[in-house]
Amino acid sequence: MSTHTVCKSEELPEGEKRIVEVDGAKIGVFNAGGELYAIEDRCSHDDGPLAEGNFDPAACTVECPRHGSMFDLSSGRPKTLPAFAPVETYEVSVVDGEIKLEVD
Amino acid sequence: MNPPETATAATESELDPKLAEREAIKDINSDYATKFGFNDPETGYVYKAPKGLSRKLVEDISEYKDEPQWMREFRLKALDHFLSRPVPQWGADLNQIDFDDIHYFVRASEKAEHSWDDVPDDIKNTFDKLGIPEAERDFLAGVGAQYESEVVYHQVNEKLEAQGVQFMDMDTALREHEDVIREHFATVIPENDNMLAALNSAVWSGGSFVYVPKGVKVDMPLQAYFRINTENMGQFERTLIIADEDSDVHYIEGCTAPVYSTDSLHSAVVELIARPGARIRYTTVQNWSQNVFNLVTKRATAAERATVEWVDCNLGSKVTMKYPSIYLLGEEAHGEILSIAFAGEGQHQDAGGKIIHAAPKTTSSIFAKSISKDGGRSTYRGLLEVAKGAEQVRSKVVCDALLLDEQSRSDTYPTIRIDESDANVGHEASVSKIGEEQLFYLQSHGLDEEEASKMIVNGFIEPVVKELPMEYAVELNRLIELQMEGSIG
Repeated sequence: MSTHTVCKSEELPEGEKRIVEVDGAKIGVFNAGGELYAIEDRCSHDDGPLAEGNFDPAACTVECPRHGSMFDLSSGRPKTLPAFAPVETYEVSVVDGEIKLEVD
Repeated sequence: MNPPETATAATESELDPKLAEREAIKDINSDYATKFGFNDPETGYVYKAPKGLSRKLVEDISEYKDEPQWMREFRLKALDHFLSRPVPQWGADLNQIDFDDIHYFVRASEKAEHSWDDVPDDIKNTFDKLGIPEAERDFLAGVGAQYESEVVYHQVNEKLEAQGVQFMDMDTALREHEDVIREHFATVIPENDNMLAALNSAVWSGGSFVYVPKGVKVDMPLQAYFRINTENMGQFERTLIIADEDSDVHYIEGCTAPVYSTDSLHSAVVELIARPGARIRYTTVQNWSQNVFNLVTKRATAAERATVEWVDCNLGSKVTMKYPSIYLLGEEAHGEILSIAFAGEGQHQDAGGKIIHAAPKTTSSIFAKSISKDGGRSTYRGLLEVAKGAEQVRSKVVCDALLLDEQSRSDTYPTIRIDESDANVGHEASVSKIGEEQLFYLQSHGLDEEEASKMIVNGFIEPVVKELPMEYAVELNRLIELQMEGSIG
């Protein structure tokens, strides 16, 4: 397990997202109503990019821009087809005013 | 005293099955143009949108239907997806479709009636000619009849209604069961799943909503019939079927259209949800006229112990691209796809099916049969996927193609992806021609060449046809015989 700094917490206000690269893997970090979530930036349907899709902070979901699968940010599970397998989620927290990501 | 002449003839044909069969075949000698290809006047139409697709048109449809804001936003989002996507360059040639030369919304009647007597005369006559009210009386549990963009008649038998079965057109379902529709609509096929699903999502109108409560078995089939009447028409119905736990339902759809020299477009979205232990069978007898592009997205989910079956018969249309799919999401779910495609002159049937095993102990089969003649082209395109974690899966894929002459063409694109080592998957494929030997053998038993060819074709598709309800099996055999007329010599 390693800890990575994403940004200062004020740089990711509510309703915003940011894609970071950790050890060559892309991870999407989301601020939905003050809660932080992080999931891998890869749709489990066809391995395309996921986090750049529509982010709905109220529903706490992100929608794959390629075929429309809607992923729950807290569990990583798809709520709609064509994806059916969950994507990886990561621990994310605020330490000393900075957003920290825990990656295996 | 001698009985009247007509009574004598009827008795003779009843006594002699061969004579009866010949009479039946004689009857279907009339071509598609006479039997299905007629068109009716458009007098009395309530609204016909001008040709072309725009943001305003989508807003108008939504406003016209007095829809909730979320549906209007859903449509507009889908329109953006459609406009930003390129026309697919795989499969059939879709570049010939002029999306600006289509009427996207045509309302022929004010509302869906519950009695045929209330349906406007021209429309009622059409469905009378197609035999729908008669079929409803004889062997169906419910009927929906869509004419142009909207459903003009809908009825379900009282016994089923009392058991809580919901069967209504999708526009009514959105008004009366908005919460259920909002929860399930586009969860199986999202609006940006593909370009045609996006188009449907933007301009959808009509289609069926079916809900079968827990434990209810619907003995007789429910049927929807889709009819395009006007020229350069786009029909975009939307169907959602939810079979609750341990329920059972069979839904049948049929379709025809007039013969025109310009093209029409049919692009439906069909979503099926089979909850634990439920069974859904969805049968299609597609017989569009040969000026219709038929580009349909059909997908089902099957929870644990559930079964979904697609029985898909494609006879008509200019171009069909349709691959019904089943996601086996729960343990011991089962999926079956039976597909027949018949491609005659000028037709391209690009059909097949997809099954995704996403849970352990799931089973499936795909049987696809295609027949090509007079330069027609048939394509089998399929996917069988066994996902990681789906252990002890069993599946069989069989695709057979029959070519009736040298000019016709058949292609097979089977994709199989397996991520578990203990999957038991079988795949067979064959391409054959009607052999001189087979023809000679049958002719030596007294059949002429055309009869012999029909018999071989009927034998070829028999495994699929036997799965249809009797009335449809007879109709399908007749349609295929009709397609076969004059194919020899």
